[in-house]
Amino acid sequence: MLRWSALIAAVAVCLLIGLAMGDQWINPFSASNSLDQTILWELRLPRLLTAFAVGGLLALAGAWFQVLLGNPLAEPYVLGVAGSASAGAVTGLMLMPESSWIMSAGAFTGAWVGIVAVMFFSRLGPNRMLLAGVVLAAFWSAVLALLLALLPEQGLFRAFSWMMGDLSRSDLPIPLLLLAWVIALACGLLLSGALDKLLLGERHAEALGVDVKQLRSRLLLLASAVTALAVTAAGTIGFIGLVIPHLMRLIFGSLHRAVLPASAIGGGLLLVLADSAARTIIAPAELPVGILTAMIGVPVFLFLLLRRTA
Amino acid sequence: MSGIMNLSNLTVVRGGQTLLSGLSCACNAGEVVVVLGPNGAGKSSLLLAMAGLIPVAGTITLSGQLLSAYDRREICRQIAWQGDLPPTEFGLTVRQRLLLAAGEADQGIEATAATMDIALLLQRPLGELSSGERQRVELAALMLRDTPVWLLDEPTAHLDLKHQIRCIQMLKAQSANGRAIITVLHDLQQAMAIADHLILIDGKGAAEYGKAAELFDGNRLSQLFDAPVIARGSVLIPDYGEER
Repeated sequence: MLRWSALIAAVAVCLLIGLAMGDQWINPFSASNSLDQTILWELRLPRLLTAFAVGGLLALAGAWFQVLLGNPLAEPYVLGVAGSASAGAVTGLMLMPESSWIMSAGAFTGAWVGIVAVMFFSRLGPNRMLLAGVVLAAFWSAVLALLLALLPEQGLFRAFSWMMGDLSRSDLPIPLLLLAWVIALACGLLLSGALDKLLLGERHAEALGVDVKQLRSRLLLLASAVTALAVTAAGTIGFIGLVIPHLMRLIFGSLHRAVLPASAIGGGLLLVLADSAARTIIAPAELPVGILTAMIGVPVFLFLLLRRTA
Repeated sequence: MSGIMNLSNLTVVRGGQTLLSGLSCACNAGEVVVVLGPNGAGKSSLLLAMAGLIPVAGTITLSGQLLSAYDRREICRQIAWQGDLPPTEFGLTVRQRLLLAAGEADQGIEATAATMDIALLLQRPLGELSSGERQRVELAALMLRDTPVWLLDEPTAHLDLKHQIRCIQMLKAQSANGRAIITVLHDLQQAMAIADHLILIDGKGAAEYGKAAELFDGNRLSQLFDAPVIARGSVLIPDYGEER
């Protein structure tokens, strides 16, 4: 209970700090003039909520992919969905360079092309599916490199900032993202008993009454859809989906009724922190948020890992 | 034949190779059937087939109904399967592993863990245990499954002598309580200690089923394993050559 209280309290504190941080420090409790009010509630709060939802979705997808593939090194982009989404986003940028929403639309389309390609290999079992996913990821990287080589110079900065994670241009409505966070978590919790059994391997899970084939299909669809949504909202933000589930397992244990809500909250927390730092450190310019997620998350994770080992 | 589990003209094919064909047998409540045969003969595959985990040709019935007519959950209520040691990457503790077998009911975990000498390991992650300790965890997980049929694939693998004996005694006791037990073993003395019936699989497609008293024969087992098996008194043992 103490650990849950600490996690919830950390979210509240980080949201408040995130509201206050930026190119100028604004105390949310004493902001009086209308400009500060506008900055706080119309610029920073929506961005913080987007960061929280996207971070949570990435961490949930990471937890699911790790169990689905039986591999602790799996993360939301391991099967190439990020590559196909990036290729889609850059294609969109090439076709309609002036449009504000075209990268999101292209990313969403590209992500689903990647998902359909992966699903074709899902019947091969976790190891071969992972291998197929890694090869597909290499293919999408090559496509992306080709597109970037052909992209006019003025589009390159926008493409690169999107590819390193960019919450400033999210086109998706915040209620949609928060609703997706709630639905994804609820679906995950419904599957949590079966997911726990899958930790023992497919045979043991089946012997304990799990319809593994059906579970794998549902999990792949769910994790892929969540990844597609997160990538569409904020570009490719690495690290969260890989490390947050492990971090939460270290703190809350391995059972999914704890790991999934903790990851959904913890992933959101990390991205809120990272994004707040990203838009403050070199303000008024911004750092790519993906750099910050790794710089904050890696030391925390390694510290907990060392403490647990000791 | 009318056991709780009946196999009729069963053929198991894996990777395009026929491992065994034409096997018919009955597994009765309160009896132990031991499966013997060389490596790769299809013993584990037979257990997987009996657990409904791989497709087979032929007929398997459970409590009078075709196994294929049951859904996974109903099979799980009637059959418990102990196979390879599960992976340890995700940090499950011993207690969590046992909870997954017990269906989240905490009752009986402490007592069962004590039976298998793992009571002091309950909070430890599976990945920190030795293979023998993990095997004892798997046996404890099996003991928490109150199903009429148990399928065990080398339950004494990795165990020290004390726990091999405890495992065999536990299986005897469970059988005496009315459970149908089908187990793969490699140790002939352990097999002789508990088997009511034997299934012999030769690895070339042939399978034989019969009473243990009739099939425990030095020549037959020598042929089966392509290795010398000799009788010492009433006991069959591998012939390792002259003692040093």
